[in-house]
Amino acid sequence: MKSLFVMAYKDLKLLWRDRAGLFFVIGFPFLMAILFGSIFSSSGGRVSGIRVAVADEDSTATSIALTEELEKSDAIRLYPMGREDAVDKVRKGKVSAYLIIEEGFGELGAFAMFGDSGDKKFEVGMDPSRTAEAGYLRGLLTKAMFSMMHNRIATPDSMLSFIREQKKELEASSELEDEQSKLLLDYFDKTEYFLENIDSSVYSQGGFSMDNDGIEIESVERQRDNEPRSGFDITFPTGILWGLLACAASFAVSMVQERTRGTYLRLKLAPVSLAQILGGKGLACFISCISVSAALIIVGYFVFGVNIGSLGMLILAVICSGLCFVGIMMGISVLGKTEQAVGGAGWGILLIMAMFGGGMIPLAFMPSWMLTISHISPIKWGILALEGAIWRGFSFTEMLLPLGVLLGFGIVSFVIGIFVLSRYDN
Amino acid sequence: MIKVENLTKRFGEITAADGVSFEVNSGEILGLLGPNGAGKTTTINMLVGVQQPDSGKIELDGVGNPLDKDVRKLIGNAPQSLAIYEDLTAEENLRFFGRLYGITGKNLNVRVKWALSFSGLTERKNDKAKTYSGGMKRRLNLACALIHDPPFLLLDEPTVGVDPQSRNHIFESIEKLHSDGRTIIYTTHYMEEAQRLCDRVAIIDKGKILALDTVNGLLDSYGGLSVINVKLESLPEKPLPVDGNVDGNNLRIETEKPLEELAKLSGSGLKFLELSVDRADLETVFLNLTGRRLRDR
Repeated sequence: MKSLFVMAYKDLKLLWRDRAGLFFVIGFPFLMAILFGSIFSSSGGRVSGIRVAVADEDSTATSIALTEELEKSDAIRLYPMGREDAVDKVRKGKVSAYLIIEEGFGELGAFAMFGDSGDKKFEVGMDPSRTAEAGYLRGLLTKAMFSMMHNRIATPDSMLSFIREQKKELEASSELEDEQSKLLLDYFDKTEYFLENIDSSVYSQGGFSMDNDGIEIESVERQRDNEPRSGFDITFPTGILWGLLACAASFAVSMVQERTRGTYLRLKLAPVSLAQILGGKGLACFISCISVSAALIIVGYFVFGVNIGSLGMLILAVICSGLCFVGIMMGISVLGKTEQAVGGAGWGILLIMAMFGGGMIPLAFMPSWMLTISHISPIKWGILALEGAIWRGFSFTEMLLPLGVLLGFGIVSFVIGIFVLSRYDN
Repeated sequence: MIKVENLTKRFGEITAADGVSFEVNSGEILGLLGPNGAGKTTTINMLVGVQQPDSGKIELDGVGNPLDKDVRKLIGNAPQSLAIYEDLTAEENLRFFGRLYGITGKNLNVRVKWALSFSGLTERKNDKAKTYSGGMKRRLNLACALIHDPPFLLLDEPTVGVDPQSRNHIFESIEKLHSDGRTIIYTTHYMEEAQRLCDRVAIIDKGKILALDTVNGLLDSYGGLSVINVKLESLPEKPLPVDGNVDGNNLRIETEKPLEELAKLSGSGLKFLELSVDRADLETVFLNLTGRRLRDR
């Protein structure tokens, strides 16, 4: 028994010193899990902000105030540029919309959006197929305009200044009839008197604010029974299987290295049995499998919020997957007589297993014909067992099928490996 | 003592060992001299128990067959292919193989220290083996075979690919092991090595042992005549004291006893300008036995 651990320790030390091998065993699975988890999670329907190209041809305090008001929202991201670039970017689909603030916008001020279409002094352009985003952008623009308008009348002083501007324009205007003009001037005088005399604290109690539109949106977490809560719930089990694949491939190559480089001969000469030699290699492979799985699960749980449905089932799934890949390692190690042959053929077979087993395309996204083929791949059953414990909510009875298939694959492959190896020896 | 009787091993159509029989006395070095593919490694592999003979018998010092793992503990083997882990240091390699033989604690420390010193690797003990020269790897390969202090040692071409300095170190190491009383089987296709190191040499070819004797015994039996070439200052007026061919001032003598012929020449008062003696070597022995040179292939 001691020899078993001596040999396993040696193999783990050799794996640790093989930087390239170590990357595939631990680095690559993490990369897969984190990269694809991030992609799947960020494409889950959440809008991260409408991208809008802004061409500010007015460049007045009012136009700048508009863009600042828009930028206050998390739902929009502005990219300043010239008119032609802005239109071009929308055409090429690089941004969702453009907003051109034309010269003269500042003169119209906060009331720009309420005039006739020819007087508005701003232009919005968008791909017509983006109807939802168009509505969304319209709302954001309206809100910004109302906020600017509100700022103009929010205090007696700002309102007074506004009224006096309007009075001056009215007095200078000759478009209205005298009687109408007089009526309006009378209204402005009374309003001016009202604003000059009202206590500002009383004034500010009335009115409205766009900051508080009275609509409160409660955050209601969607109930997710037996379905992944994030992309990481899918990619971490897949990452674990990639780690197991790499463990099997690495140890299969190290097995054939022992044979080609003469150390296997020395091991056979030592007072240990063939079972102990192979057991040591298998134990090292199993420890690596368990370590990689544990590292991914721990990081997934604590850093990426992978929720573990059943820890007990997960441990079972990890152990059975590990045993399966120890067997596969033994089977692969006899595919050829050289490191190149075993490395090439081994990775080839493992990649096909991964391709059809959900290692490249998640099982949840597979077409039905591919799901049928996936039954022949141990990767599929490994992922299923891990997902069953993590988010599929499998009962113990439901877990028996994937666990049994994994053990079956492992045993058959191990026996084939031992059989062929003993033939090589003779 | 190692006793081998009628060992035979076939790989398909090829007979790698064909009725190989020999005995190696305790404390003796027996050389297996033959070209590549002669059956030396197969014989060694059967001797260490990693290949089972199709027929024949091997016995070590009356303790049994090396297929038994307790008997294998008595054997140290330095295979032709380097049986070391190149990503481990010399010390780690030695500790690993030592532990496999059940050596632990202080005893393991002592053995590792001895093996490092023996192989001249103490200074480089913490460097990975892959950073060593070919000669250093060979020395580590030999040290790993000695870590459990075996009385029987099988060395399969231990100087392949080794620089002259390391080769010399290996020779000295083997001579020391010999003087310690270990029983050694040494395979090689270099006749100089066999002549320097081995008490007796077995000439092996195509799986068969063609001859087995001391080096001198082989030379006497299969080496043929020695040749003495003499360039005389002038030809004598009286008859020569030895039988030989005269060509001008040159005299060529073919003889089984070169020393006796030289004594006769020197007692005759003849003056020599040049003198050389070409004695048969193991290469000649092999040529005479097989019709081929040792390194024809």
